[in-house]
Amino acid sequence: MQKDIYIRAACQISAQPPLSEEWLDAPVRYSEPYVRAMDPDYKRYLEPNVARRLGKLLKRAVLTARRVMEASGVACPDAIITGTGLGCIENTGVFLNALVREGEELLKPTSFMQSTHNTISSLIAIDARCHGYNSTYAHKGISFECALLDGYLQLKAGEASTVLVGAHDEMTPEYFVLLKRAGYLGGAPGGFGGETAVSMMLGRQRAGSLCRLRGVEIAYRPSADEAGRILNGLLQASRCSLDAVDAVMIGTNGHPRNDAVYAEMCPVLFPGKPLLRYKHLFGESYTAPGLGVYAAATVLHRQRIPGHLFVHAPGEAPRNIHNILFYNQFEGKNHSFILLSSCGE
Amino acid sequence: MDELILNLKREIIEVLNLEEVKPEEIADDAPLFGEGLGLDSIDALELIVLMEKNYGIKLTDPAQGRELFKSIRVLADYIRENRKK
Repeated sequence: MQKDIYIRAACQISAQPPLSEEWLDAPVRYSEPYVRAMDPDYKRYLEPNVARRLGKLLKRAVLTARRVMEASGVACPDAIITGTGLGCIENTGVFLNALVREGEELLKPTSFMQSTHNTISSLIAIDARCHGYNSTYAHKGISFECALLDGYLQLKAGEASTVLVGAHDEMTPEYFVLLKRAGYLGGAPGGFGGETAVSMMLGRQRAGSLCRLRGVEIAYRPSADEAGRILNGLLQASRCSLDAVDAVMIGTNGHPRNDAVYAEMCPVLFPGKPLLRYKHLFGESYTAPGLGVYAAATVLHRQRIPGHLFVHAPGEAPRNIHNILFYNQFEGKNHSFILLSSCGE
Repeated sequence: MDELILNLKREIIEVLNLEEVKPEEIADDAPLFGEGLGLDSIDALELIVLMEKNYGIKLTDPAQGRELFKSIRVLADYIRENRKK
């Protein structure tokens, strides 16, 4: 039995003003290669006894999760699923540095407990007192898409009726240096390395939702032909066509090595389609696609594509936005297609 | 305020991230766990590490820890008598 699935609410903390959609009309622009997230004043939102032990990544995760649970009226989702490339890398660094400094003795228990990837999902569950399905995907640049696919399948299979999906990554100065040395970030030309904290609630209730999630596909090293077949399969299964897709949100980030893959694939997969971007606003991180899906869902909900999202100036921006296809690739290996539609579709 | 007690309060505030608490707000005889500061078992582990790292006192008996962490004053008295640093 087919059951429609919706993104009921979404919330972000990133390089753009936190917990808001100000980026639509007044985006903050960056020219530096490394930008940390704009954190809200957590004292306004989190109780001192909750916040005191948490690193920034965990504060962001708990706060965005609480926000979407409140906005969607779901006090305890049936499943909590997180995608994270690096997990709690800041606490991992604190713990490992102490390990070296103290000769593997006298280690702080808090930084140890919070140095694992699955701390994020489990902490949200503890905070919300949820005892259901709890999972974490740590697959570098495809982590968020795996989490979203899991949530989508849980709902399709009827295993859950509400699923909280998150994309959470922090970028420490040390890790940025490593990515820069590897040529992944920090080059010229190139966009900036950023941090991601997105929570979104999936469910079956259409009223008040941001958009409909119609399908998720991931693929490993597909050729352009294979990617085309996967895309067509997604569109057919969703009873949609490429003609009905109003725009494609892609993961260009200004770095030649990354963008060359899009330059090769996009003209073959989506010829003539308006292309949208989001990493110029939110930066690059392993789970940045979570921010891309959040941005596309927001655009569908608001029924407006701001000019700064277009990769190329459009001849004419679509008036009614029915369908946005999200396409991301990581190092040319992991590719993902996500089809989002307005709630009326 | 006794210098050791003041230092101990500062160290506890730092190691347990009690950002909202000032040393003078912690009563010397108030219970650290349950009521008072409302610390929990993870905090107890942090305090055990603090005792060893800052004062060279190694606690191996959990029952001993329960007794020592009754209040700041009890803890300070024990440190005064047993410190190796």
